[in-house]
This record gives sequence, structure tokens and C-alpha cells, in this order.
Amino acid sequence: MKSFIFSMPILIMSVSTAMATSVPSVEYNVTETTESVSGVTMTTDTITDKNNENNETTVNSSTDNSALTNYERRVYRYRRLWNFLIPTQTVIQYAGNMGVVSVGMGWDYGNHRQYETNLLFGYLPRFNSSRAKMTMTFKQNFVPWRLPAGSKFNVEPLTCGIYFNTVFGHEFWGREPKRYPDKYYEFLSTKVRINVFAGQRFTAIVPHNRRKFMKSLTIFYEISTCDIYLRAMLQDNKISLWDIVGLSIGLKLQTM
Amino acid sequence: MNRLTIFLSCMSIAGCSGVFDYHPYDVRFDGEKDINSHNISRIEEDCRDKESLTVAFISDSHGWYGDTEDMIADINSHPDVDFVVHGGDLTDCGTTKEYIWQRDRLARLKVPYVALIGNHDFLGTGNETYSVMYGKMDFSFIAGRIKFVCLNTNATEYDYLAAVPNLDYMEEQHTADSALFDRSVVCMHARPYCEQFNNNVAKAFQLYIRTFPGLLFCVNGHDHCLQIEEIYDDGIIYYGVPSANRRSYLLFNITKDGYTYEVIHF
Repeated sequence: MKSFIFSMPILIMSVSTAMATSVPSVEYNVTETTESVSGVTMTTDTITDKNNENNETTVNSSTDNSALTNYERRVYRYRRLWNFLIPTQTVIQYAGNMGVVSVGMGWDYGNHRQYETNLLFGYLPRFNSSRAKMTMTFKQNFVPWRLPAGSKFNVEPLTCGIYFNTVFGHEFWGREPKRYPDKYYEFLSTKVRINVFAGQRFTAIVPHNRRKFMKSLTIFYEISTCDIYLRAMLQDNKISLWDIVGLSIGLKLQTM
Repeated sequence: MNRLTIFLSCMSIAGCSGVFDYHPYDVRFDGEKDINSHNISRIEEDCRDKESLTVAFISDSHGWYGDTEDMIADINSHPDVDFVVHGGDLTDCGTTKEYIWQRDRLARLKVPYVALIGNHDFLGTGNETYSVMYGKMDFSFIAGRIKFVCLNTNATEYDYLAAVPNLDYMEEQHTADSALFDRSVVCMHARPYCEQFNNNVAKAFQLYIRTFPGLLFCVNGHDHCLQIEEIYDDGIIYYGVPSANRRSYLLFNITKDGYTYEVIHF
């Protein structure tokens, strides 16, 4: 599972690199770029603030960008890439085959912030087993529509996506241990589950002048299931969709 | 905000009825626990003075819920059956939900049943679910002066580190309650010389099997097909019970003169 943690920054980096290269004008007119790339507006703002504080470079709203040296431009790009790693959301989710409660951070990206990636850590109490367990979830959301409901609220009529959940403990294995003959439990990992979900969300936007900790607060619900259950349903018609789906609810705090 | 409170309280009520899934291996379930010991006391009570027994042996019902339902309906239609022995592999992946799905179906049996643990039932936290839902992995009971010894033989699941099969337990069972039984039947999931058995002790195992008083026969599951074989050429027959998707099971009739069996197709 360590590979998940390590692949995370690499993934984000590659996405951000792609975005940076898609804006060729960045070197010449920083201010305009900031306005035109809606997906990274906030990130770029933060860079400007930081630069002012540190007095290291003078990337600000000054119109004369020709004063920037190559080194300063490089520093600016470097900061912008790493800034992409700052999580923009905090997520808390109840249920959903990832423990009773999961808490974590999230990143949103895309021209309309329609993609989200969450990294969640969950707690699974012992129930009838011998001990409690921790889980980790890597979740990819897609939000195709965001409909405004007045100026203070908006509704996302569909969210969907996929998440990989891993559970920690000696009881579980990712790949078949060597004690088994080859392909003994074919296609099975007891450690990693692939889940799919669909749901809806409702967002309350905090007005600009009253923002303290967050931009908006979203409540969501999801209907989800996992690969093992889907296989059970496909294998036998006595298992219905109703038997294999579960409900989960959660909150998303958009911090920036 | 008021609506939110109402919504959340609805959700917490719904949570109690199992709408929320915490994890496939959460070992969280309501309903009957310790099924084997409950059913064993029923079997011992019902069959105490019986001179002839009719026992249905089923096995490997994992994943085939429709076939399992039909099999249960078929067993229920036989008026003579005294009890049912499930040879293990109740689940495919050992998830708690699969255990519940199987338990809810097996509960439709009119007669009591006991279930052994199969290798698939060990996966993840499956062994823990089995222990809470069914009980001990090695167990025995006496019905009509016949002792049924049910053994956990899934050694590969322990990487051969555990005492599986437990020869000490077998030795204990040779003499335990010896006044109450004259004959014995041994049930297991994986039989000797299959990949799940600890074949290092296969011969020692058979030595202990042979020492059971009045041994009639052995029954196993795991191989998903009908097997009638004298594995050691010593007169002891191992009957392999087909899996549920083969739509057949074994019905044994044990009288004081011996036993007969029938392969039932449903």
C-alpha cells in the first residue's frame, strides 16, 4: 500500500505539469494567466501571497513582467507545481466498505473542478472479530454537473466514481501467499477491494465576507458496492442488487 | 439545519437495520450465533434412542445460492432425514455478508444442521466469523449411539503451522463419552492427499481414523465431485460430497446392521 502513498504526489505532479505546459503565456503575463485558468486560480493566488511575504521574488500584479529573470520564473513554476499538492478539501465519510468512519483530504481539479481525488483513512471497530482495523482509501470522484440553487447553495445531481480500499492486518493479503498452489483463489485479494459508487451532493456556500475556515460545506450520500459482491451477484441470480449495495453519507469541507 | 438533523437521525435509525456497509470483513452480524452447538443439542436430543439414522451430507455451497435453496427444499421434502452435515466452504471469499447469505438459507432446513469449516471460509476474517457464527472448528456429537467427529483439515490455510488436523483432539475423541457410542463417522472438508491437507501426517491421520470405535466411513467435501474411494486400501471408504452446483448430495441411512447411501439429484 505504500505504493499508493508514493504514487499520489507523482500523479498530482504529472497532472499539474500537464496544466502548466498547456498555458504557454505563463512566462510573459502572470496576471492574465491567473484569471484565465479557472482550475488553478486559487493556487496561483497563494503563490503570489507567499512571494510577497517572503520577499524572495516579485511575482505580483505588477504589469512589467519582463523584469523577471529566468531563475525567478523557474522558482515561480516550481512553487506552482508543489502548491498543487496542497489539499483543497477535508472529507469525512460514514460507512461505504471503508470502515465506520473515514477522514481524509482531497484535491479537486479540472476546468470546472469536476474531478476530485480523496485519500481517506478509516477505522473499523472489532465487532465480533479479535481486533479493530485501519483502512486506507484512494477515491476518484467525477461530478459532471453542478447546478446553482440560489446564490448560497448548489446541487450536484450525480457524483460517481471508483475507490480502492485497503485494510491493514496480518489476516489479509494482496497477492496469494506462496503456500497456495498457483491461482488457487483466482482473481482474489483479501486486502484490496475495488468499489464503485453513485450519489448526490448538496452544497452550502459560505459568503465571502463570512469565510473563516472554509469556502463551502457539502453534504453527500452515496450508494456503493465492491467487486466481491458484484461477482456474487453476477454468479447467482438469487443475489439481488439490493443485497449488495450499501449507503454511505459524508461531509466535504472545501477549504480553498 | 433542522432538516439536516432529521436526515441524520433517519440515517442513524437506518444504520441499525444494516443499510450501511462498514467492510466486507467486518465480522459484524446480528442473528444466530454458535449455531453448531445449538443444533448439536437438538440432534442429540432428537436422535438419542434412534436405532436407524438418516443423514444428509451436503458441501461446498459457496456462491451457488439458488442451487443451495433448491437443495434445502429437496432435503425438506424427505420426511426421514434426521439432520444435515455441511462439509464446509459456505462462502467464496469468507466475507461476513456471504456467511449471512448462507446462514439465512440454511436456516430454512426443517431439521438441524452442523457446518464444518472449509478452506474458502478462512479467507480474510472468515475464520473469525465462522468461530462466532458456528463455533469450534473441531467438534463432535453423538446421535443414536453413533459419534460424528467433524475435523478441520484445512492445513494450507495455516501454512502448516497449526495442529491441523488435530491428532490430539482425535485421540481424545476415541475415548470421550465412550459409554454413549459404539460406532463412529468422521467428517472433514479436505481429505488426505489433496493440496489442502497436511500430507506429512496423512498416514498418521489414517492411523488415528482407524482407531475410532466401530468406524463406519469418512465423508469429505472440497473436491466438488462425487468420490467413493478407499484411499488407503484398508477398507475405510471416503465419500466425497459433490458441490451444490452439481445439484446432488449424499443421503446415508445407518441402521444397526450397517449403512446404505444414495446419491440424490435434485
